[in-house]
Amino acid sequence: MIFSVLIYASEDFIDALSPEEHQEILKKHGSFHEHTKSNKNFAAAAKLMSTGTAVTINKERDEFLVTDGPFAETKEQFMGFYLLDCPSLEEAIQAVKILPLDHGRIEVRPVEFFEGADFKNAERMVINAS
Amino acid sequence: MQSAWLSTHLRAARPRVLAALNRVFGDIDLAEDAFQEASLKALRTWQREAPPRDPTAWLIVAGRNAGIDSIRKKNRETLSAPEDLEPGFDGTHPEDELTRSLDQSAFRDDVLRLLFTCCHPVLRKDQQIALSLKIVAGLSVDEIARAFLVQPKTMEQRITRAKKRLQAAKLPYEEPDAVARANRFSVVANAIYLFFNEGYSASQGSVLIRDTLCEEAIRLARLLVRLFPEEPELRGLLALCLIQHSRRKARLSPSGEAVILEKQDRSTWNRKEIAEGNVLLEAALRKAAPGPFQIEAAIAATHARAPSYKDTDWQELDRLYIALQHIRPSPVVALNRAVVQAQLHGPAFALDRLCDLEAPLERYASFHSLKAALLDEAGDGPKARKAYERAIELAGTDVERSHLQKRLDGLKPVKAI
Repeated sequence: MIFSVLIYASEDFIDALSPEEHQEILKKHGSFHEHTKSNKNFAAAAKLMSTGTAVTINKERDEFLVTDGPFAETKEQFMGFYLLDCPSLEEAIQAVKILPLDHGRIEVRPVEFFEGADFKNAERMVINAS
Repeated sequence: MQSAWLSTHLRAARPRVLAALNRVFGDIDLAEDAFQEASLKALRTWQREAPPRDPTAWLIVAGRNAGIDSIRKKNRETLSAPEDLEPGFDGTHPEDELTRSLDQSAFRDDVLRLLFTCCHPVLRKDQQIALSLKIVAGLSVDEIARAFLVQPKTMEQRITRAKKRLQAAKLPYEEPDAVARANRFSVVANAIYLFFNEGYSASQGSVLIRDTLCEEAIRLARLLVRLFPEEPELRGLLALCLIQHSRRKARLSPSGEAVILEKQDRSTWNRKEIAEGNVLLEAALRKAAPGPFQIEAAIAATHARAPSYKDTDWQELDRLYIALQHIRPSPVVALNRAVVQAQLHGPAFALDRLCDLEAPLERYASFHSLKAALLDEAGDGPKARKAYERAIELAGTDVERSHLQKRLDGLKPVKAI
């Protein structure tokens, strides 16, 4: 089964990290990569740019509305995600414990459908849970 | 919780907490002391107990109580303290209620007001930078003094004088209307860019200190963009800072000398920062409300896109400088445009343009060094030599002087007599 690992943290906090602290966090992500790649759980990783770069698109009557930034100012922002291919939720949870969890929170949520892009040489990847 | 992370939490929460306390007390000094008290309390309790879910709200409540206590002590009057908001450590978090109200726009304006106060036009530029770094970013007096190569005592005095000047100015605390708000954005954005530049162009002090100034400026710009994503000039400011900052490795040679754009190793430019700057700029330009920061960011982005100096899109740069000259006319902009014109139409054309700028920029080293380079290109060695000599006389720093001296020495020698 594919699980999404959704990472939330405070951008104020991330911006305030010292280089050493940043390194410490990256090291844990590094271990996570190593672990999930060695046991073939790793499916994908994406780190998002700051929410300041975001726009939000919605539709009012027949008009598209593009507003700036994410919807509302919340204390924690969505920072990025991993996709893991694990036989069980338990295994996904065990892997997530390697990630930095002292600040922010991580949500694990099963993926119902996934299609990966056809990057030049890669095989197209389609997974349908149903 | 490790104490290192704890201080990062304090650093992260600082701008918002101080902004809220500044509104509550209407006094920056009192707000700063209250924040200090709240921080000490946090250090004591967060290590013992689980840290609160929302450190910012916790600190605002603790700071407000500390501030009220100190006013009480001073006045020996009974003020009604909001006992029900006393931070609780029994697992419940009464500040959640408070935070909900803090997410509203008044809270965003608190941060804007705090920054506007620190960058207020009644203050000198150096005071604005010192106050912003001290109060909003939370740098210590020692750190700021190191960044500006002055004694800590001198910096302390500069900050104290700045605060006195603010008190004397008796700034009003009412909510700004749309025009006043727009003005605040512009004052604050200019001040942040000013101290970004202080870090970017300072040719003295260690690389570490210069980077600190740039990074603090970027951190503040990020905070503002997060609070006010609908302001295109703020996104333009952040885009500009990020793209400039992306070149930091290429701008200095291993021996610490300045490297001009033409000679920079473009492979060392930070692509992540350039990409973020580009998308911020694109998002800003969607608003169709151009301003100087968006145009300057577009200029920086045009350079960042070029595979080499030779293959730069000079036509596009010329259009952007015309736009900038239209929005914010200045001889320095005209000087920068002359660099572009030299690429498009040759050195003689650009030298012609410089004639009009001689009067306003006579005491500006960059004017003379550009003139020297153009004269050299046009084959007028003796005049180029004179212009370099004049530039060296006017140069502000040793690094700049030695850079110019090298270029002067690089001129073809004048025929021996």
